[in-house]
Amino acid sequence: MAGGGAIAALVKPGDADAFHFCGHIYTTDSCPHPTGLPRIDAHGFPLRASDGHPVDDLGQPINAAGQPVEANGHPLLDPDGLPLPPAPRTRVCEDGVSARIRRNARVDGSWYRCCGGRIRKLVDCCSTSRRRINGDGALTGYCYAGRRVYCVMYYDTKIPC
Amino acid sequence: MLIATLLAVAFTAGLAGTWSPCGFSAIETISNPRRHVVASSAAFAVGGVAGGAATFGVLALVGTATHATPGPTVVAVIAAIAAVAETRGLAVLPQVRRQVPEHWRRALPLPLAAGLYGVLLGLGFTTFVYTFALWALAVVVFLAAAPVTGLLVGVAFGVGRALPVVLIAPFAHQRPGRSLLDVMAQRPKTLRVVRLTAAACLLAVMVESLAGSASAATNLGLGTDPSVTGTTVVWTTPTGGVRRQEDTTTTTSVPAHASVGGSLLAWREGTAVHVVRLADMSPVLDLDVPGLTAIAVSDTWLVVRTRVGAIDELRGLKLASPDTPVPIARAAAPTTLGRPALENELLVYSVAARRVSSIMAVDLAAGTRRVARRSTSALLTNPAVLGGDLVYDRLTSAQQLLQVGPLDRKGADQVVYKLAAPSVHDAGHEHDYSHHTRTKRPRTAKWRLWTTALSERNVYVTLLPRVGAAGGAQLVSVPR
Repeated sequence: MAGGGAIAALVKPGDADAFHFCGHIYTTDSCPHPTGLPRIDAHGFPLRASDGHPVDDLGQPINAAGQPVEANGHPLLDPDGLPLPPAPRTRVCEDGVSARIRRNARVDGSWYRCCGGRIRKLVDCCSTSRRRINGDGALTGYCYAGRRVYCVMYYDTKIPC
Repeated sequence: MLIATLLAVAFTAGLAGTWSPCGFSAIETISNPRRHVVASSAAFAVGGVAGGAATFGVLALVGTATHATPGPTVVAVIAAIAAVAETRGLAVLPQVRRQVPEHWRRALPLPLAAGLYGVLLGLGFTTFVYTFALWALAVVVFLAAAPVTGLLVGVAFGVGRALPVVLIAPFAHQRPGRSLLDVMAQRPKTLRVVRLTAAACLLAVMVESLAGSASAATNLGLGTDPSVTGTTVVWTTPTGGVRRQEDTTTTTSVPAHASVGGSLLAWREGTAVHVVRLADMSPVLDLDVPGLTAIAVSDTWLVVRTRVGAIDELRGLKLASPDTPVPIARAAAPTTLGRPALENELLVYSVAARRVSSIMAVDLAAGTRRVARRSTSALLTNPAVLGGDLVYDRLTSAQQLLQVGPLDRKGADQVVYKLAAPSVHDAGHEHDYSHHTRTKRPRTAKWRLWTTALSERNVYVTLLPRVGAAGGAQLVSVPR
């Protein structure tokens, strides 16, 4: 039983150092994301992790025009009945991380894993910083041209696994 | 309110300096010879105030330039630590074991020496420090005070430094004066009382800081879209427009969707715009503007915003020749133009696009425009302008800031009001996975910052409900 427990502790990420979302197996932390968990779309723009709804840089769910919307999808309105203005929506890695660390960041490496019955793409955001977002030394080998992993994101597919 | 408390701390910290070697020395030095007492006292007072203003003014200026803007919790913690140390009467650390140059009183004319002594004592950190309040004050001013506040704190400190010296010195050679000095010198309890007073003031700073910026705001009730001219504020409530003088609580009715500027009042009613003189409501201009969504007025210009189809447009109408509108800006959806605000011939408005958010300033007389503020990650909206100062909303994923700063000097903006995040954040980790992440989870605000106005004394901002109908919007005022 004790051996079984030890194995369970190895495979269950809950007690590990920083495996704070499925598929992420290093201590590298999430890229700064408007709503928390670093879920992105295919182009690197932020999505709300819970349902994959597009969000702007303020974390507000938005419609196709970029206007903030209510839970029912209707645009939020000002007192005059006009839609509230769109906030900027930028790519989590290339724009957000680059601005944060004041050096270019880009997506170099990625890996696919099975998470919650669907395939998830784990995406590394790479920069020339020698430190990861969590303060540890940055990992080499996952990025190109001398870049190192700064933080991580993920992209959920609808492919079952 | 916090400023008043900081001034009290500064004054008390200045008082405590009287018990220092330099404080006692200054009293004795100024008290003789008697023919110079008045001049020396005056010079000492001026020097003390100048020194205090220099120290704390520079601290605030440098703090502002370095964008040191801590949360109220940081200020509260600093004040609390200093208050505890004061209450327990701990020895002040770090200590500055220096005194003013003694030979000045022999080598220089006494009033000049007294003035220079005043400067050195007013500077605060050039001689012995007798209260933790001084250190706490310096840190708080550096981290959180606007330059003007820093100057005021410095003046209060200088007054506290100079007042006992100036009051006691003329009588120091007389029996009551000698007795008073003896009590001060022989009974440390007198200093203890001052330090306990400083502790009480520091606790007040802590309480007011924790109460947060929201408590500094005055809720004016349901209302939106404020505008200001002089001390007259106008806004719209669900039952109509309201006009109020800032120094009174009485209000009078004006039409809904009204805006003031200069000596004029304008309002929109459907597609109609009416402009009248504020003093007697005599008509100045009436016109029809299809697609009208917002207006701003000054003594010389009326600016209208229209939305026709998916196009936002800003146009200026010179009141002297309103038949020839001047195009100012045009934007197609999803880009939108914000509410215009005018001061004389200076117009400010926001532009919200998918990739960038900007606040524009236009000189309507010269026809020139410039980008006053710009961000590719924050939403900058609802600007207003007064006397070269700009107020606007800055919304990020973590917080909402109402900021005021010089229109032409980016990076010097002060936060005068703050709300929590404009959207809901998740936990930063998935269910059943480690909670070990540095991803922050900010609180979500109940309100969203919206339209603003600026007066000499106050900043006004509309708070829109974050969810639900905008009809519940409230207007608050915040002292500058």
